This record gives sequence, structure tokens and C-alpha cells, in this order.
Amino acid sequence: MKSVLTKHLRASAAAAAALAILAAQPALAQELNALIWCDHADPALLQPFEEANGVKVNVKEFEGTGAGLALVEQSQPGDWDVMVIDSIDVPRGVEKGLFEPLPEDQLPFADLFPEVKMDGSTVVDGKRYGITEKFGYNTIGFNNTKVDVADMQSMASLIDPKYKGRIAIYDYYLPVMGMAALSLGKKTADLTEADLPAIRDVLMKMKANAKLVGEVTASQTALATGEVDILVGGGEWVTAGLAKENPALDFSIPKEGAVLWSQALAMFKDSKNKDLALKFIQYIVSPDGQARLATSSCYWGMPANSKAALTDEQKKTLRFDEQPEFLARAQAYPAPDADLDKKMQDVWTEMLQAQ
Amino acid sequence: MRIAARILVSAYALAIYGFIFLPVVVLVLFSLQATSFPIPPFTGPSLRWYQAVLADQRLTSALFNSVLVALLSSLVAVALGFLAAWGFARYHLPRSWLLRGLITLPLTVSYLIIGMGILILFNAIGVPKSLIAAGIGHVVINLPLCFAIIYSQMGEHQVNIERAARDLGASEWKVLFLVSVPVLWPAIFASFFLSMTFSWDEFVIAFLLTRFDTTLPVEIWNMLRSGLNPRTNAVGSLVFGVSIVLALLLELVFLRRNRQ
Amino acid sequence: MNATTPGRLLPWALVTPALLWTLVFFVLPFIAMAMLSLLEPGGEAATLENYRQFFYNPSYWRALVNSLEVTLTVTVISVLLAYPFAWILAEIVPPRLQRLALVLAVLPFWTSYVVRSYSWLLVLAQNGVVNEALTGSGLADAPLQLANTRTATVIGFVHFFVMLLTLTIFANLKQLSPSYRRAAADLGAGPVRTFWHVILPLTLPGIMVGAFLTFVLAIGDYITPQILGGNNELLMPQLIMMQIGRRGDFPLASALAIILMAVVTIAYLFCARWLKIERA
Repeated sequence: MKSVLTKHLRASAAAAAALAILAAQPALAQELNALIWCDHADPALLQPFEEANGVKVNVKEFEGTGAGLALVEQSQPGDWDVMVIDSIDVPRGVEKGLFEPLPEDQLPFADLFPEVKMDGSTVVDGKRYGITEKFGYNTIGFNNTKVDVADMQSMASLIDPKYKGRIAIYDYYLPVMGMAALSLGKKTADLTEADLPAIRDVLMKMKANAKLVGEVTASQTALATGEVDILVGGGEWVTAGLAKENPALDFSIPKEGAVLWSQALAMFKDSKNKDLALKFIQYIVSPDGQARLATSSCYWGMPANSKAALTDEQKKTLRFDEQPEFLARAQAYPAPDADLDKKMQDVWTEMLQAQ
Repeated sequence: MRIAARILVSAYALAIYGFIFLPVVVLVLFSLQATSFPIPPFTGPSLRWYQAVLADQRLTSALFNSVLVALLSSLVAVALGFLAAWGFARYHLPRSWLLRGLITLPLTVSYLIIGMGILILFNAIGVPKSLIAAGIGHVVINLPLCFAIIYSQMGEHQVNIERAARDLGASEWKVLFLVSVPVLWPAIFASFFLSMTFSWDEFVIAFLLTRFDTTLPVEIWNMLRSGLNPRTNAVGSLVFGVSIVLALLLELVFLRRNRQ
Repeated sequence: MNATTPGRLLPWALVTPALLWTLVFFVLPFIAMAMLSLLEPGGEAATLENYRQFFYNPSYWRALVNSLEVTLTVTVISVLLAYPFAWILAEIVPPRLQRLALVLAVLPFWTSYVVRSYSWLLVLAQNGVVNEALTGSGLADAPLQLANTRTATVIGFVHFFVMLLTLTIFANLKQLSPSYRRAAADLGAGPVRTFWHVILPLTLPGIMVGAFLTFVLAIGDYITPQILGGNNELLMPQLIMMQIGRRGDFPLASALAIILMAVVTIAYLFCARWLKIERA
């Protein structure tokens, strides 16, 4: 009987010791807290910065600006230092009083591809709050051995019954609804509530052809494993990283155009590590950081800094030299106000539920 | 007739076992994949993903966190559950049925809702997300279980032993710790074990309530968002392997106790 | 009363910690959630807008219908598959091997839930194990569409709950006194009649407890439908997570959560007879 009691006591003592160890773990070197898209979690990207500065970078991943802002709302001021946010959504963060202006003279704005600088959204009231770090396209990704490549030059093939059951749709409402708008000849910047019924129609037709609607991983996997042959909303972010193992994966910019995604870095006004945050941003937009970010393990994309230190092979995979032509035919994400945003999300939910 | 029945029975049992083991066999098989995608064809065997897992500091610290949270939250749940079960079983408390029902109520609530509720409450009063918050959530889901299991085992035969101890002059606390606990040991152990199991693999509450230091299921989820990768298979297989070892150890301990 | 009768304080000291924990970390959050569900995001006045949204938006209440359909299907299939299995383990497997047989049945569930779900996705994929077996053996002409469908979600759920129900039914079967069977035999009943009229009713509590647990756990589960369903339809937990994760709309999420709890409560009232926690 006694041995059972001592067994209990020993277990509790061990547990208490474990708790003490956990609590007493000294705060290591300075820490940077970053809210990121998954491509910033790659150790190959973070380690050089951590080692050079003797710091630790803590990351929390999210997908979609709505989710990121929701995470911020669930946190206390000072919890976060930097955030990766779509360039077009920077004003939303500024509106909520989240971001700190960035020093123009300490960041290589002159080296950025002009089309992705996006002064229209990264500059608010004369102050710059975000710097674009990476961009790409939400367009048509496909397996060029399984589909007729000529069909991929028009979005009409996405709703063609010929491809029924062979499509996956990327689960992010903003770019895909933007693509739907483009297919109807509308500009993504001019969307209003009146356009929603027509967009809804296109979405429903796409859903009828679709096998699944998935986020980054599910979409990549579906295309890579041959579960589907076409990914609506796919682009180099899906195909480039897999190019080595599956060179049949490709993307096209159809004649109707494509939606341009561009990520920017922003600094939090309440950050307790503003100097370190700036250093981090400088690192990411430096030629070395840009090359690592562009080829990050979660998804690849074009570096915003044209001087990124990419190898020739990497440039070829990303179609570096064709970018000016692509950029000319791409339009930015829709940037709806709160009311239109809610209605768009409702349409998206409706599409998800449609049989 | 008998032989036909035996074949039918064996076939059914084998089919069910096959069904149960199917995803695990595939999981372990593709953890040994040589290329980067855990999909057919099998290009193994290779241990590179196990190496990657053991070298991945985020994974190993998530593993440690999972064990810690499971251990501590289960200890709290068992302790609270045991004391409450003993209190309700041995003494008459007013509206006991109502209070007992309250303690077991969380059993009927989805983990998602429990986690959401705590998140909302903590947001409102400014408590940050952390492993401790997740641990609190885990106690909420395991306490009713521990209470129910231990309470259901408290019957007349223990009362007699306790009465004997009291007659011999033991105080209430001595009766509790030196007599009741050992006698109810199987129930206590079962509820502890069950709590550890539920907490260890629990995803939703940990996902909602942790920030950077997180548990293994959440870390695996994060890993999976970065692309399907045999690393997750390797982690799953390692967890599986460790569980088997623990189960064998348990069997040995159990067998030894039985022989005593 | 002898001198060591405990004072009135002791019983309360024993049960208060558990009660307090439940009140602070379960009841209070629930009240907070209920209050929140009556607000609009950013609003101050109480309103039933969130509930109205649910009932008037087909995409939303469709999620509840989907959840009920899937959960009931899973429960029924799991019970039908688990009962014979539990029977075999309890009655036909020799007693010294029974614990081993049970442990073997539970062992696969000690892999991570998330990874296991993804494994099912791969098993059911176009070029996965199942389809390869079906087309290879000639049972199917072309690979079946299994992954990313409701079928996959159901399979994923049934996989887990067959194990759970096997445990509850097994426990029930082992508890049955052999005198029931002997009595039935003495009265001239054959094995089938004994089973139908004696064993089955006596194991109903085990079935109902397992079925209730299956219902509650399945209807509130987020991972399995999210990973295996391919977003081809939304179930309630996915809808709730969408509000939390993508829109930060906690009031609406709270309202949806309360509706889900109401459904589970109805199920509980239905099964209450068999779910009393009785002392030995």
C-alpha cells in the first residue's frame, strides 16, 4: 500500500520538476514574432538571419488576410513584430491602426519590379506601410501531359464539361473570384455588388467541374498526385517547387488575363522590437533573402527585388524573363470594402455547399 | 457447418483488422519513401525522413510539449476527478445529482466548442494563448471522464475496507490516501491513461489556444500546410513506435503486479 | 457517531475543486459564448441576427443537415461493423488472448490523428492502394472517385468509431453473467433466439453508450471532414472554423456553436436512459 502512495508522490514530484524546468527556461536571445504565410517558415530562409543576429524568429502561419487579421485580433498588443500581408490589403491593417511606417531610405524600393511596388496600396496618407517582397499569379496550373495545352489559353475551358472532375479550385475566394471576374471581362479593381450574380454563375460552373476545393497543400498534392489535372488559381507557386520532380506541371496566363498575388512585409506599431523587425525586413528584401524566399519550400514565387540572387536554372523555372509580359496582362486582387467582402465570402460559402 | 462458420468468423475478424491497420501500414511504408512525395510508387526504403524529423527542432520541442501538457493535465484531471468522486460517493451532498451532472456535462460538448469558449473568455479578460491555456482546456475535457470512471467504481466493498480503517483510528485523509487510492487504483490508472491518450492526440483545443510553443498534432498540421511530405509519415511512425514500446512496458509492469 | 465523523466542510472541500474548474473553464466560457452570439460583430445591442442568418441562409443550415446525415450514417455503419467484431473478441477468441486482441485493435490509433487522416487520403486516392487493388483484380473498370468525397469522410470516421464501439460493446459483453445464457438454454431457446431476445437487449447499454459517444464526437469533429471531404460540402465544424479562422466573426461562430450544442442535447435526451452514471 505504501509503495503505491510513494509511487504517486514520486510521479507528482517529477511533474512538478518538469513544470519548474519549463517555467524557468531563461528567455533565450531576443525573439522576433512573425505572422506569416507558410513560405516564411523555411529554415533555409530564417537560419541565416537568426545566426547573423543571434536571435530567434517565432512564426505563426495563416492563409488569407482575413485569417491573419483575425489572429491579430485574438492577440494582445506587442504580441507580434512583423506580418506578411497581401500588398493590396495593407490599407486594411493601417485602418485598424496596426502598422508602423517604414523608412523609405533604408529599403531598396528602387530595385523592385515597378508593377509590384503597388504604391496605391502600400502608401497611405503619404506614409509607406508595406514593402512588396514576393509575387506571382493565380491563374491556371496544369499537367501538360494530361490536358490540351491550347485549351489552357482560355478560361472558358475551366467550365467546359470536357474537363469535368479533373479540376481543383484553390480555396481562397479573393483571387478565384477575381479570375471569374476576368473571365467575364470585368476589372478586378472595379467590382461591385452588382457583379456578384454573374461571378456566382461562373463559380458554380467551375464547382460542377471540380473534384475538390483545397488550400495550399491540398491543391499542390492533388495536382502533383494526378488526382486532378488542372488547378484553378494555381500558378508558379504550385508548379515551380515541384518542377524538379514533375516537370510536366506548368502554368499559363490565359487571354482573359490572370490575377496577380503580391505579398508585402509590414511592421507592427506596438512591436517591442522595432529595430530587429526592420533588420528582418531588410534581410528579406536583400538579394540573398529574396533568392531564398523565392525558392522557399512551401511555395515558390517571383522575388519582388529584380536583383535577387537566383541561379539561372531557378530563373528559368520561375520564367524570370517573361515576367514583364505576364505583369502587363495581370490584375491585382479585388480589394472589397467590409460589406462587399462579407457578401463575397457568402457567395464563396454558397459555392462550397453546392452539389 | 462448423467449419464454414469458423472460416466466416476468421475472415470477418481479419477483414476488420485489415481495415483498422490499412492507413497505418501505408503511413509507415511511405515514411521510408526515398523521393519527396508520400504517394505510390514506393521508391524506398530510405531513412532520410526519420533523420529530418529528429533534426527538426520544432518537431522535437512540440513532442516534448505534448508529453508535458498530457502529463500535467491528466494529473490534474485525475486528482480533481478522484476527490470529487470520493466526496460524492461517501457523503451526502445536497442536490448531488445536479452537481454530478454538471461535472460530466462537458462530455457532450464538442472539443471545438470547448476550445472556442475558452478562447473567447481568455480574449475578453486578456489572458494570452499558451501551452498552459491548452492544458486548461485538456483538463476540462478529461475531468468528466475521470470523474465518471472513478465514481462508477466506488461501491460497497470499498466502504467496508474504509470503515475498517476508520475503526482502527485512521483520520479521513489517511483513509483517503492510504486506503481508497490503492483500492481504486485500476480505475484511477484507467482514467489517467485515457486522459493521457485524449490529451496527447488532441488537435482543436491546442490549435485554438497555443501561439508559438505548441503540441505535436498542431505542429504536424502546420507542417502539412507547407506541403505533403514523408516527414509527417516519419513522425506518425515514430509516435506509433514509441506507443508500442510504452504498451509493452505497461504489459510487463501489469504482469509483474498480477504475479505479486 | 464516533469521534472521527468528518465535519460538514470536508465533503465540500473534496468536490469544490472539480466544481470550480468546471464552472470557471466550462460554464463561464459557455455563458460568454452565448452572450457573444447575441451580438453583431462590432455591435452593442442584443440581436438575434446571427441565428436569423443561420436559418435563412441555405448554405448554413445545409451544413447542419450534412452533419446529421454523415453522423447518423457513421453511427449506424460503425455499430453494424463493430458488434460482430466485439462478439468475436469476447466470445470466440480464447480468454488469455483477448487482451492482446483488444490492444491490437486499438494500437493503430496511437499514431497521430492528423497524419492518419492524411494517410486515408492517400489510401483512397486515384492511384492509391484501394483503387489499385480494385482495378488490378478486375472488380472495377476505372479508378473510383473515393478521396475528397463524403464517402471518404464516412470511411475516416467509421475507421475510428468501429474501434470505440468495439470497446464499449466488448466491455458490456464481458460483464454479462453466464447465468442468463444458461437460463435461456434451460428454457429451450436455440442460439439465435438466445441472442435476439436475451443477449442483444442486455448489450443495448453498451451499444447506446458507444453510439452516443460516436454521435457527439463525430458531429463536432473538424479534422476528418476537412482533410478527407475536399470541401465538396461543408459540415458544421468546418462552418464554425471558417467564421473563426477566416472572418474573425466570433458572434456568428458562437451562434453556430450553440445550435450545434442544442442538437447534441436533443440526442442526449434521447439516449439518457442508457447513459446514467451508476455506481457499481
